[in-house]
Amino acid sequence: MRRIVANRLLGALVQVLVVTLLAWLLFYVIARFTGASPAQRIAGKNASAAQVALVSRLLGLNKPYWEQYLIFLNHLIHGNFGFSYVQMRPVSAILWPATRATASLVLGAAVIWLLIAAPVGAYGGLRPRSVGDVVGRAVAILGMSIPVFWLAPMISYFLGYQPTQGDLLGLRILPVGTSIFPINGYVDFGQNPVQWAYHLLLPWITLAIGFAAIYIRFIRTLTAEQLSEDYARTAKAKGASTLRVLVRHVGRNVAPTVSVLLGADIATALTGVFFVETVFGIPGLGYTGLSAIENLDYPVITGVIIVAALIAVLANTIVDLLHAVLDPRLRRVAATH
Amino acid sequence: MTTDMQAIDLEPGRGSGTQSPAGLRTIALRRLRHDPISMIAFGILVLLVLAAIFGGPLAAKLTGHGPNEQFANALASNSLPLGIGQRTYLANGTTHNPHGSLFILGADALGRDELVRVLYGARISLLVATSATALALVIGISLGLLAGYRGGWVDAVVNRLTETAMAFPNLLLAVGLAVVVGPGLLNVVIIIALFTWYYPARIVRGATIATKQMTFVAAARTVGARPRRILLVHLLPQVWGPLLVYGTSIIANNIIFEAGLSYLGVGVPPPTASWGQMLSDAVTSGFYQADFALALIPGLALVLTMLAFNLLGDGIRDALDPRTAR
Repeated sequence: MRRIVANRLLGALVQVLVVTLLAWLLFYVIARFTGASPAQRIAGKNASAAQVALVSRLLGLNKPYWEQYLIFLNHLIHGNFGFSYVQMRPVSAILWPATRATASLVLGAAVIWLLIAAPVGAYGGLRPRSVGDVVGRAVAILGMSIPVFWLAPMISYFLGYQPTQGDLLGLRILPVGTSIFPINGYVDFGQNPVQWAYHLLLPWITLAIGFAAIYIRFIRTLTAEQLSEDYARTAKAKGASTLRVLVRHVGRNVAPTVSVLLGADIATALTGVFFVETVFGIPGLGYTGLSAIENLDYPVITGVIIVAALIAVLANTIVDLLHAVLDPRLRRVAATH
Repeated sequence: MTTDMQAIDLEPGRGSGTQSPAGLRTIALRRLRHDPISMIAFGILVLLVLAAIFGGPLAAKLTGHGPNEQFANALASNSLPLGIGQRTYLANGTTHNPHGSLFILGADALGRDELVRVLYGARISLLVATSATALALVIGISLGLLAGYRGGWVDAVVNRLTETAMAFPNLLLAVGLAVVVGPGLLNVVIIIALFTWYYPARIVRGATIATKQMTFVAAARTVGARPRRILLVHLLPQVWGPLLVYGTSIIANNIIFEAGLSYLGVGVPPPTASWGQMLSDAVTSGFYQADFALALIPGLALVLTMLAFNLLGDGIRDALDPRTAR
């Protein structure tokens, strides 16, 4: 077990280095050949020549590339993500609250999509071609086909905005000014957990639907496969209830595979926050990143990408370790090596 | 999104298309033709391609509205655009002009014809998605063949590369790259290809490993075929089956990818109509609350396209899968 943990952490370290190297290459090397110089971009469009020179000297941008990367890495290690000359604040002060909001959004959405997909997918695998299965699959393929950047405004319009006009799903049944869900805004968990969940409910559902669709199909296939195995038939034969077979026997074999997928999808979900956060006005990484793109605030764009990639690495690492805990076979294989 | 699931299914040997291509192909085609849902999806895609090629210019000619042409009298005096099926306003912008020209799907916030733009948007979507897919396939097939055939360190490097790439939120890095290199049609195609080649690479690698142990490859080697000939003449034709299964979802994902980049303002530059751009024009300004159709129409176009691709992809997968009982 210790060997697995050490291996995985080493892998995570390599991934972190790759991420920072990619980000650095992108914004400090490739950027050199496409338009303004990195120092000019960081200092902002309206910076004077003296300011640009100062930025260039502070970040060592006139030194050799390898030294620049080490300076960049050294700053990151000390939590220094640079300075936003657009917002006139250090980038880390902008990113920290944004990261908390985004983590709330993505992790909550992951819980919701698993809660939707597990029962629907397991039922489909248990009773293939039943009415429930056909409906579940039809909904799943529809859910897969709806891009999150369209779903977000639709949900915000029908469940957030329309009730304030007295409509619910096109029916004039509410008094004007009803607010079922907040249209936008975010309350920090530390301030008020109930309001936090209430404000995040629609964004959670929005982000979760596409993934729930994928997981329904995935869990359905896995469940059907496992149910045809001998051990499942044995469990049924000795009189275990269907629920017990599904949860205790099949569930244990499906969970590790699903957990591996979960790691990659939390990374994918991080790209969805760009769209969900802007529509619902959640001041997370996506919202911050998008406004930084509009203002060409390069230090913030760089910071958002690095932090999001770091979250992805973290999620992957945790999930892989979880996989080792859930799947005893993995531990045994690693131990014999 | 769909591709995340496929990654699990790509173990070598599972690609069922490699076994007996000719016989299976005939059976699969017959199965596909008898599947009504796949045929409807295929019909929608044919219509979409026709709309993308001829629809835009045709609609522009019939309505007399160019895709980027702005009409002042398509906006009311309170600057709200025309709704679905309305005619232009009178010069003072208060009442409709019964003899004005018809805007079948209404106008956008700048007074451009929504129908004409949706049709031109289909053209951009398909153009970008198919060329990015083609480019990604070229990169992916080459690396996948090489990795699967050579094995050893080449395989290790390619494998590491694809695994690392899959673990990262690739839209994020793509956005970063797009911000740095600036918007442009060709840039978008290259960026999408750069962040999608590893799906085909993994598929091809798996199929190559499964195929290269077969007798006909050994026979070819025995009669003195060089590696290049084995790769191109013997192995390459074998990987199309597995690729086809995933090809539809790769194109579908690339359509979403392009729309997402355009939505974020780093894709196809305005004023060129693209679905993502049209959607973001309506949404990011909060304009869809005033005029809902502007968010509805490009979104429906996207959903319908995605649905058709996903349904056809499922159909092809079922048709090629020998385990599916029909």
